[in-house]
Amino acid sequence: MTITLDGTTGITTPTTSTTGEFVTSVTSFKNRIINGAMVFDQRNVGASVTISSDNTKTLDRWNSRCESSLFNSYSVQQSSTATTGFVNSLLVTSLSTASIGATAFASQEQRIEGLNMTDFGWGSASAVPITVSFWVRSSLTGTFGGYIQNSAQNRAYVFTYTISAANTWEQKSITIAGDTTGTWLTTNGIGLRVGWNLGTGTTFSGTAGSWGSTNYYSATGSINLLATNGATFYITGVQLEKGSTATSFDYRSIGAELVMCQRYYETTSYPSASQGLDTTQLSIIWNANFSSGQKYLVAKRAAPTVTLYGRTNVAGAPSRTDTGAAITGTSTASSVNSIGFLSVSLGQTLTAYSTFALEVGYTAASEL
Amino acid sequence: MYKLLKNIEGDVKSVLRIADSACVPFDPANIDYQQYLAWLAEGNTPLPAE
Repeated sequence: MTITLDGTTGITTPTTSTTGEFVTSVTSFKNRIINGAMVFDQRNVGASVTISSDNTKTLDRWNSRCESSLFNSYSVQQSSTATTGFVNSLLVTSLSTASIGATAFASQEQRIEGLNMTDFGWGSASAVPITVSFWVRSSLTGTFGGYIQNSAQNRAYVFTYTISAANTWEQKSITIAGDTTGTWLTTNGIGLRVGWNLGTGTTFSGTAGSWGSTNYYSATGSINLLATNGATFYITGVQLEKGSTATSFDYRSIGAELVMCQRYYETTSYPSASQGLDTTQLSIIWNANFSSGQKYLVAKRAAPTVTLYGRTNVAGAPSRTDTGAAITGTSTASSVNSIGFLSVSLGQTLTAYSTFALEVGYTAASEL
Repeated sequence: MYKLLKNIEGDVKSVLRIADSACVPFDPANIDYQQYLAWLAEGNTPLPAE
């Protein structure tokens, strides 16, 4: 393997290897998409989810947009159907022949944290281009649509891509000029939204290939998957990177990828879907209705929404270690911040001098 | 429906989302807190803390 260093292009390494050397990216975090290979599904562990509300979180970091007229018209599931180099994909299945009204929209999107795109320069004259690449497979063929939007959804770029053969993996890439206007957050809020259309009406559809002060989700005339009952759409190997060229997928270590997911969501049950005995042991302070606290596995983007569980997998009901019984009432995390919670507020009043350990499982959600 | 929650110091800095027994902290960057604020803006009132 040859590594070249010069004053013009910096450090250059091969992007592929035929001799078995260890090859890695020169720059870390080339791919700003997290869980682009769809390997983590902490919430549902492979179970199918019928989308019945807007902003439903499915696979880690993936978000389902769904206007109310399209509720229950599609499902999302982690799939083991994948192309070479991957073991998972995100599967969308249309559950009906939906009528796509003018104001309807449905999509699969990922929201990239502003702190992860501070080097894009968007909203200024120094905005850099990005390239989105992905593998896709559908039972339908034709021209499909997708979008980039800002946090406020008042800037959008609609793109198209063509699926040529049914039920066949195809790799696509789209290069998008950086937006020199608009407001693009570089905080812990939404930096950008990148999404793939499933069903969008005329109100939220526009011309592909340019920036506008719009909130479009798709290109006019592109395919609406949800209009065909039983239609399928698989996607994996999703990458969003700086520059005008799609490079090879940035394979990060599985442990690093999980930690990146856990900045936004973690659960003590994973890799099981249900909480149980594999929980945190917290001690009870005598004669008080508060226990000790807990630090998360990974610090969160913001103070997360915390739900407690016990052996019974019932929300708000941790268990006593000594008897196994669930604490009655609704127990909640107390003094929640981005690194942990200070204590558990018990749902039942204890008698004086109560001493026992508490079994607590939890989910901590700090999604965008 | 929501219910205000007191922490161990007696301060109200989070709210219980009753539907799923989730504790939503008062952090402007938390999307569930943003939904709570929208719910308040619609004229709703949470249950008081105990």
